[in-house]
Amino acid sequence: MSKENLLMDVNDLSVTFGAGANTVEAVKNCSMTVHEGEPIGIVGESGSGKSTLARVLAGLQQPSAGKVLYRGENVFTGNKSYKNGFRNQVQMVFQDPYGSLNPQLTGLSAVSEAVRIHKKVGSDEAEAIALELLQQMGISRLDALKKPRQLSGGQRQRVSVARALSASPSVLLADEPTSAIDQSAQAQLLKLFQGLLGEGLAIVLVSHDLGVIRFLTKRVYVMKEGLFIESGDTETVFNDPQEEYTKLLLASIPGELGKAARAKLKKS
Amino acid sequence: MSVAQKRLLDLIDVEIGIVRPRRKTLVIVKYANFSVNYGEMVGVVGESGSGKTMLCRAIIGTLHRRGVSIMGGQVNFEGEDLSKINEARWKMLRGKVIGYVPQSALAGPNPVLTIAKQLAEALEQVDGTGSMESRAKELLDLVKIRRIDTVMKQYPYQLSGGMRQRVMIACALASRPKILIADEPTTGLDVTVQSQIMDLLKEIRRDLGTAIILISHDLALVDEVCDKIVVMHAGATVEVVASGNMSQPRHPYTIALNASRIDIAKPGGNLTIIKGNPPSVGQWNPGCRFVERCDYREDDCNVGEHPPLVGEKDGHQTACLHADKIKTI
Repeated sequence: MSKENLLMDVNDLSVTFGAGANTVEAVKNCSMTVHEGEPIGIVGESGSGKSTLARVLAGLQQPSAGKVLYRGENVFTGNKSYKNGFRNQVQMVFQDPYGSLNPQLTGLSAVSEAVRIHKKVGSDEAEAIALELLQQMGISRLDALKKPRQLSGGQRQRVSVARALSASPSVLLADEPTSAIDQSAQAQLLKLFQGLLGEGLAIVLVSHDLGVIRFLTKRVYVMKEGLFIESGDTETVFNDPQEEYTKLLLASIPGELGKAARAKLKKS
Repeated sequence: MSVAQKRLLDLIDVEIGIVRPRRKTLVIVKYANFSVNYGEMVGVVGESGSGKTMLCRAIIGTLHRRGVSIMGGQVNFEGEDLSKINEARWKMLRGKVIGYVPQSALAGPNPVLTIAKQLAEALEQVDGTGSMESRAKELLDLVKIRRIDTVMKQYPYQLSGGMRQRVMIACALASRPKILIADEPTTGLDVTVQSQIMDLLKEIRRDLGTAIILISHDLALVDEVCDKIVVMHAGATVEVVASGNMSQPRHPYTIALNASRIDIAKPGGNLTIIKGNPPSVGQWNPGCRFVERCDYREDDCNVGEHPPLVGEKDGHQTACLHADKIKTI
């Protein structure tokens, strides 16, 4: 990976919550990089600090220590115009498609609002752009005029992705995008992500589902109790895990791969 | 044992619907067919809205609380038709002979009761020997909870998701039911916890001989832990197949469902999306309900009734008019 296409450079990042005896170190000394068009996975159990890390990467949470550089500039100390530019460039899709969309707005109005803000265009033009985005996500004109409660979980998640893409970002942060939806809807969303990667978008996928991680990502960071305990090429990590915890994660998968990993774990 | 003796639960052409004032009755399940033998572990899979949870409710007798009722067919449990019995009889079965583990482990336990009180509530309903405390501890031991004395005094919020689900399973086991119905028991839990809970269910089945119905939308999971898999689509059973045979499905829906699952054993891999969306609840076209999304459709598919489930009971059953042709493809 060359230096030129380095998008995000995360250095020694820590996040602590609370004070005194109740201090919780959610993220401890994590360092990672994201290059243009690169699919990255962050995998770990609940409580391992994945979501906190994702929120810092999106600029939604101040780190207690360490730096997040976007194209060489510190995200949290830059001036206002730089910060606004960064917000456009790194967009997030949240875990819960029920909670992240305004229940009062139709998919079309939710997305056109975002288009209006990011692209600074009039409302008619914004609506046209929004409709096109939604259609690319496989949401028909008819479904675009529905409110979130009338849509299925998978459709809702695709509206969220359309909204995130309205800013034309270079990085899409997806925090457990598939955990609340059906297998068939999951396949649709993953295909969509594959297409976006083909168009040069970098995706940081946070998940506890190793299947999704292996399907989509090229590089993976395994997180446990706030630390990156293992990282590397996704295939290398899957075929030859070094840490006990990674082996345990692989052994927990139902099906063939898990069986093989369980056998290996027993031998050692 | 003869076939009749080993059959514990038998669902025959079950139809579930909601009667609505001044509107047409909404049918949500029609032609649900499958059976569970003593000590058997059966997985029920399907997309959201396919009627999995409604079937669960029909078996534990909590349908009518929502204005929903069994409108046709039979739910035979040890020779007794559950669709015909009254509330007094249900009180003797529900939670006693037929146990239930709810979907959301996080919301399942009562938040203001300690685990000890929670278990005592479940135990009060059944006869037994020994003090309440020792029986409660025995239950926690059964679900492999360590530090039993500490956990007994704790409240649900102090426990992790996996521990809470273990407590829920302990409650369900208080009366040593003949069958345990687990409705997506690991949704929202981590993979490592999921595999522990599955191991626990397998042990319960092995040690206590409890039959288990595992509802899930995770095909790989069900294929690994269950003896038999029931595939539901739009309120109907479309295929019943012994586990391990999921690689040779005969119903186009099962084939499509299989193709849409990530093959984690292979990197990159291919994903095929099932065309279109599942039909809205009760808005079914005539004939096969999968016809709009089917790759193998023929002219006779969208006329008449839903195709019947054909095949040997306890064998491979498929509800598709052209299953034979598909088999050879």
